[in-house]
Order: sequence, then structure tokens, then C-alpha cells
Amino acid sequence: MISRREATGGTHSAGRGTLGAGIGVREPHVAEILAGRPAVGWLEAHPENYMGGGPPVRRLEELRRDYPIALHGVGLSLGTAAPLDRRHLGRLAALVKSIEPAIVSEHLSWSIAGGAYLNHLLPLPYTDEALAVVADHVDEVQQTLGRRIALENPSSYLRFRHSTIDEAAFLTEIARRTGCAILCDVNNVFVSSRNLGFDPSAYLDALPASHVTEIHLAGHSVNDADGAPILIDDHGSRVADEVWQLYRHALELFGPVPTIVEWDTNLPTLDVLLDEAACARRLLDAAAGAPADAHAV
Amino acid sequence: MLTLSELQRDFRLAMLADDDRIASLVAGDGLEPAARLALYRHHVLDTLTDALKSTFPVVCRLVDERFFRYVADRYIRECPPDGPCLFEFGSSFPRFIGELSPARELVYLADVALLEWALNRARHAEDAAPIDPGALRAVPPESVPSIVFQLEPSLTLLRSPWPIDRLWRANQPDGEGTVDLDAGGAWLEVRRAGDDVGFRALDPATHAFRAAIAGSEPLGDAADAALGVDPRFDLAAALHALLDDGVVIGLSVNGLPKKES
Repeated sequence: MISRREATGGTHSAGRGTLGAGIGVREPHVAEILAGRPAVGWLEAHPENYMGGGPPVRRLEELRRDYPIALHGVGLSLGTAAPLDRRHLGRLAALVKSIEPAIVSEHLSWSIAGGAYLNHLLPLPYTDEALAVVADHVDEVQQTLGRRIALENPSSYLRFRHSTIDEAAFLTEIARRTGCAILCDVNNVFVSSRNLGFDPSAYLDALPASHVTEIHLAGHSVNDADGAPILIDDHGSRVADEVWQLYRHALELFGPVPTIVEWDTNLPTLDVLLDEAACARRLLDAAAGAPADAHAV
Repeated sequence: MLTLSELQRDFRLAMLADDDRIASLVAGDGLEPAARLALYRHHVLDTLTDALKSTFPVVCRLVDERFFRYVADRYIRECPPDGPCLFEFGSSFPRFIGELSPARELVYLADVALLEWALNRARHAEDAAPIDPGALRAVPPESVPSIVFQLEPSLTLLRSPWPIDRLWRANQPDGEGTVDLDAGGAWLEVRRAGDDVGFRALDPATHAFRAAIAGSEPLGDAADAALGVDPRFDLAAALHALLDDGVVIGLSVNGLPKKES
């Protein structure tokens, strides 16, 4: 088990507070970023898009010359009861070695059943059995990569009746058992809180602040499901006002932790995305300057 | 109570087989469990369909979007991805769409899909450095027919009885015109050079030669294959062109040279 080494490792052993605000980098924006080198703290990429060869990998390496990179995995399926896909983990380890990311993160979810990859961050029952499975898998990933990873809370549209632990407590226990960090997706907390009916501020209050090394922000949409409003975490719009409010609360609790704005569907022009990151940056700066800031390292 | 493994097995059924037996474990909280499962199912099927559409845009254009989504839906349910790198998803889609009865009258469809798959493979193939053409001189003359070349990983040799190259071009966003299906077949080489992915037509003998080499056949057998297609095939010129194109990344001599006795 990797011990609780502080933060992130890698060449950019940037601790909390130094990366600032960044954006999730998506293929259509890459050329413009390389050409203009906009002032943005860091970039986050999905490793699954860079596990072949050729132009995509070369461009990620180019981005890496100018920006700290986070590798944010969607494919490890840490919550699958079956063993991890060792080939995928090996490919991730190779990419981590060549890119030397500031942060490596994954999700508290599962995507693989019976060998089929379902391309979604699917919900877990929060039980002792699932706790053991996820903790073992996080251990294995941290052993293989030789570094700490951050685990992100998912957005949820359902909960299982037989869950015995609430999600914040589940994440906390995984962090305690494995020493992993927590990537707090504030939009996901908000989306899940509306869909499942809980208090999003209380959720944030329940997380162990010293383990939260990164925050995610994104837009969501409000949809109609059989007459009931349901929030979909589609990363397809600006961050909602209520989520900015929740972000302020998160910064009070966790300090000015590095933040990424994600945008995946209805991709806007790059300047819109950079503008969202600039909004996050202003709040981060305010949090860093606040006298009550006891969290920044 | 289901184990986690059983729960995930049943959840998969809800995603891919419209079998909602898992619903009994899902809390309602003001919305039917089936409606909650449907939100997940739509995301799974929609995003995987979009992945196929981005790999097979010309096929989508040829059959129209609605039919494409129907075929993709069936394919995803029957042949879901086996790993999280979606640029690797869809290798069996060309055969699947070709065998589907409503598409069977579009006789060229599977071959167009194969061309798109080859382009997709080329886009994501590892970079590989070509060998120095001088390496050939180190092989003793009697061993030359036994040389097995290793070709760069972005390369695919593809042939079709249909003019799939013209169909592909006519169905690009800026493409236009109609394609005469009797215009003849296509003998294509797909590869990436630098960042540029594309294909070009080869003459049938050169195609046979390179396809044999790509299939790890020794040089002598590849030459025979080409000569079988066209007795005027010029082996020396074809070999030079192969090396000059920079597609050879390694060579070995297959077995020991035969000795004359």
C-alpha cells in the first residue's frame, strides 16, 4: 500500500494551490492551444485517448512541454468485482511514465461487466463488499504506478436499496484504507444531491479536507424523466450558479485546491472554456488570499 | 442479496438487453427504477453509437443516420467494446453491417467500412522508423527470396470488387457527384505518413506483392503472387519502391537458404 505521501509526485510535484485553474483538453481545441499557448494553469486529459500512437500522443507530449498535465482516467473500472484489466493498467503506467503528470485520477464507479466495457461511470452499491473491492483496486493501481491517485465522486441517477454507507463516508474510508486522494467534483455532488435527494453542502462537510487535492467543475442540464426533473451531468454548458456557490463552500473547506473545468458535449470555442477557468481562478485567488486559509501547503 | 459480481452482471443486462431485473434493487425516490436505469442505458448506447459514427462517418452517410443508429444499437448490444479505448472499438463492425439483411443490397457497404476501419487504425498506429534501404545489401544473394519484411503498423492493403475509393471520396463533407458501381474494383494501400492518414490506389500486381509481404510471406512467394497477377511485374522496381516509400521497418531471413546439391 502506498503510504500517505503528500500530494502528487512527478516532475511537477505541485502541491495544493500551485496549479491553479485549468481545463479539460479535448481534441478540437488542441491545435489552438498549441498555436496560442493560452495562459491557463494546467490541462487535464483522458489517458484512454492517448493509448495508441501517432499524432494524438505526439500532441499530448507537445502540450506537456508547456503545461502541467493531469491524467484523468475513465477506463480502469475500479469498482468492478472482477480483477482489473491488467493490459489497460499497463498502458496507463506507460503513459504516466512518459507524460509525468501532476495528478493521476480515476472514478469511484465501474464500467466493465463480463468483459464488456459499457462506456459509463456506473453506480456502485455502497456496501462493505464494494468497499473492499475498490480499496483493493486502488491499492493495485497505486502499487503499479508507484504513486498516489485521486478518486472522484461520480454523478448519480440512482442508488441501490442495499447500500449501507453514504457516499462521502465511503470515499473517506477508501482514502483512509489506501492513502489515495479525493478529487471532489462539485458539479457531481450537486447533480447527485438533486437526483437522489441529499444536502450537497453536508456532503462536502463530510469529506476529509486534507485528502482533497483537486476539484472538478462542469455544466449540467435539467431534463424531464417521466414528469420529474432530473439533472444530467452532460458537461455541455457553463457551470451553473448553484455549482459556483457550492464551489465557494468547497474552497472554504478544502482551501485553494487545483481546479479543472470540464466541457465535453456541445463543445464551445476555447475562449469560453478559458473564461470559465478564469472564473474559477478568481475564486481560487480569493480563497488563497483569505486570512482564514489554513489549508494551502 | 446479490453479490457485487451478480449485480454488475444484471446491470449489464439492463444496459444491453433491456432486461431490468436489477430494478428491484434500485430505490425509487420519486422516479421509477426503470426510468433511472433508462438514463444510464441511453448514455451507454448513445455514446458508443457516437464512437462508431466518428470511426465510420462515410458508412453513416451512405445508409443515413437513422439506419446507422439502428445498426449501431444492435452491434453494441451484440458486440460491446472489450476495453476502454474507443478508437479500438468497431473492428468487427464492417462484417456485422455487411451481414445484416437490410443492408445486403448495398453490396459495397462492408468494404467501405473496412476502408474506414483501416484509416482509423492508421490514425492511432504506433510511430515506427523505416530501415535503411542499405540493410538489404547485407543479405547474401541466395537468401534474398527468403527475406520476410516487417511493414510499418499503420499500413493496410485492401482490395474490393467495388470502387470504394470513389465512394469514400464522393461521401466526404465536401464530396460530390455520383459513383458508377461498375467503374471497377479498388486495390488500395492505406497508411499514415507523418500526421497524414490516407490511401492510394496500387496496380493489382503491386497490390498482390505488398499484400503478401504484409502477410509475412517471404519475398520469393510475394514475387510469385505478383507475377501470377501480371507476368510483366518488375520485381526489382517493386522492391526499390517498397524501400523508398519508407514502409519497411524490419527484415529477417526466413529459415536457412536452400543449398543447391
